[in-house]
Amino acid sequence: MSANNMTGPQRVNKIIRYKPPTTEANPTLEDPTPDYMNLLGMIFSMCGLMLKLKWCAWIAVYCSFISFANSRSSEDTKQMMSSFMLSISAVVMSYLQNPQPMSPPW
Amino acid sequence: MKSVYLLAPTLLLLLALPASSGRYNDDFDDGEDLSDFADDNDFAEFEDVSEDATAEPEMATPSRAAPHVQTAEDDEDEATVELEEEDGQDDGFEDSDTQDQDMYSKYDPDEFDGMEKPSPSLKDPLIIHTVPAHLQNSWESYYMEILMVTGLLAYIMNYIIGKNKNSRLAAAWFNSHRELLESNFALVGDDGTNKDAVSTGKLNQENEHIYNLWCSGRVCCEGMLIQLKFLKRQDLLNVLARMMRPVCDQVQIKVTLNDEDMDTFVFAVGTRKAMARMQKEMQDLSEFCSDKPKSGAKYGLPETLAILTEMGEVTDGVMDSKMVHYITGHADKIESIHFSDQFSGPKVMQEDGQPLKLPETKKTLFLTYHIIDKVKKLRLNREGKLKADKNRARVEENFLKQTHAQRQEAAQTRREEKKRAEKERIMSEEDPERQRRLEEAQMKMKQIKVKAM
Repeated sequence: MSANNMTGPQRVNKIIRYKPPTTEANPTLEDPTPDYMNLLGMIFSMCGLMLKLKWCAWIAVYCSFISFANSRSSEDTKQMMSSFMLSISAVVMSYLQNPQPMSPPW
Repeated sequence: MKSVYLLAPTLLLLLALPASSGRYNDDFDDGEDLSDFADDNDFAEFEDVSEDATAEPEMATPSRAAPHVQTAEDDEDEATVELEEEDGQDDGFEDSDTQDQDMYSKYDPDEFDGMEKPSPSLKDPLIIHTVPAHLQNSWESYYMEILMVTGLLAYIMNYIIGKNKNSRLAAAWFNSHRELLESNFALVGDDGTNKDAVSTGKLNQENEHIYNLWCSGRVCCEGMLIQLKFLKRQDLLNVLARMMRPVCDQVQIKVTLNDEDMDTFVFAVGTRKAMARMQKEMQDLSEFCSDKPKSGAKYGLPETLAILTEMGEVTDGVMDSKMVHYITGHADKIESIHFSDQFSGPKVMQEDGQPLKLPETKKTLFLTYHIIDKVKKLRLNREGKLKADKNRARVEENFLKQTHAQRQEAAQTRREEKKRAEKERIMSEEDPERQRRLEEAQMKMKQIKVKAM
C-alpha cells in the first residue's frame, strides 16, 4: 500500500497489528468437540484393549477421526496422531486375540 | 457231640455261602470245583484255551457283561445266574491263567454291577460341528467389519469434500470483497507473526470451517476482524445433525473503534431470537439494556427484527433513514448488529468467585463498515450523556462493592510479597557494607511511613 493513498479512509500510520484473542478470556466460546472426542476415543480404545471388545475399538477409531476433523489448526498434531494410533492398535489387538468376526447385537 | 452236630451245618453253610453269595469269592475259591461244570455249560466252546487264546478273553468279557446286566433277579435265579457267571469267570480264569494278566485287569467284572447294557441304537444322531466362522474361507462372515470400514471411508470422503467446499466458499467471498476492503483499509490480512506490518492479502485459516481476516489502518477505528464461520461440512456427524435443524454460514465482523470516536451508548438490533439470546449472554447488554427487546416496527423496520437499547434517544440517533433503508433491504441476512462502548464479550462463567478487576472494555461495534462513519457522527446531547455516565458509575460501584473484600486480600498479599522480596534481597547481599546500608534505608522508609500515617 503506497503512502499517498490519503484521500481515502485508509491511514497507514494507524495500523495496529493483529493479536489472536486469548482463549482464557472466553473459554465458553471454544468448541469443546475435539477435546471430548479425543478423550472418548482414548477411553473406548482402552476398553477395547482390556475387555477385548471389538465394537469398542471400532468406536474409538471413529472418535479419533471425528476429533481430527474438528480440530483447530493450532492444536498439536502429536496428540491427534497418538490417539489415532492407539485406536488402530486397539482394533488390531482385538482381532489378533480373537479372529472371529464381530457379531451384531441383534 | 452236640457241638459236632452244630459244627456240621455251619460247615455246610460255610461251604454253600461262597457258592451262593459273593462273586468276589469265586475268583479265589472255586477254581477246582467248578471245572466240572465246564463240560455241561453253554460256554463249552470256550474250553479249549490254546486255540483261541486272544479271542476268548475278549469274547468272555461281553458274555460276562450280558449276565451282569440282568437287574431283576429272583433268589432262585440267582444261583443259576451266578453259576453261569462263575462258569464264565472260570473260563476267563482258565484263559487268563495262561494269558497275560493285563488282559484281565483291563476289565473288572464288578465294575459294572447293576449297570444297564447300553442298547446299541441304530439311530445315533450324527452331530456335525460347524466350522468356526474365522476359519471359513469366506468374506461374508465379516460383514460387520466391512460395514465399519465402509463407514470410515464415507467419513473420509465427506471430510475431503467438505473441506474443499469450505475453502472455495472462503476464497469466493474474499475475492468479491477484496476491493472494498483494500479501499477502506491500509492493512488487509495479518496473522500477527510477521515482523513488518505487511498485508498478507489472504485469509487466515483457523480451522477447517473458520477463516479470519484482520484489517487495520483506517480513520476512526483501530481495526476490524472478520470471521467467516462456515458450517462444519467436513464432519459427517455435523452434516447429519444439520439435517435435523437448519443452520446458516455466518460472517461475523468485529470493529474496534478508537476511544474518542464513539460516544457512550449500548444498542443492538437483530432478529428476535438473537436479541433474546444476546440479552442473556452478553455482559453489557444484560447490564445496560434492562428492557425487553422492542419490536422494530416502531422505527420502520420489519416485524422480524427487535431492538435492545439503553435509552430511547440512542435509537433515534442510530436509526436514521439511511440505516433503516439498509437494514430493511437486507433484513433476512442480518442476525444482529451490536453497538457498545462497554463491550467485553459474553458473560464469562466464573466458578471461583468474581474477577478482581473489571473486564477490559473497548468501544466496539458489530456491524458492516458503512456504518462506522455514521457512528462517529452520532453525538448524544447533554442529558443523554449524564444518564449514560450515571449508568456506568452505578455498574462500576456495584462491581467494586462485590469485589471489595477480595481486592483487599489481594492488596495485602501483594504488600507481604514485596516485603519478603526486600528482606530476601538484603539477606542475599554478600557485601556486609551494602547490607548495612540497605537495612538503614529500609528503617528510614519505615519511619517515613509511620510519620505519614
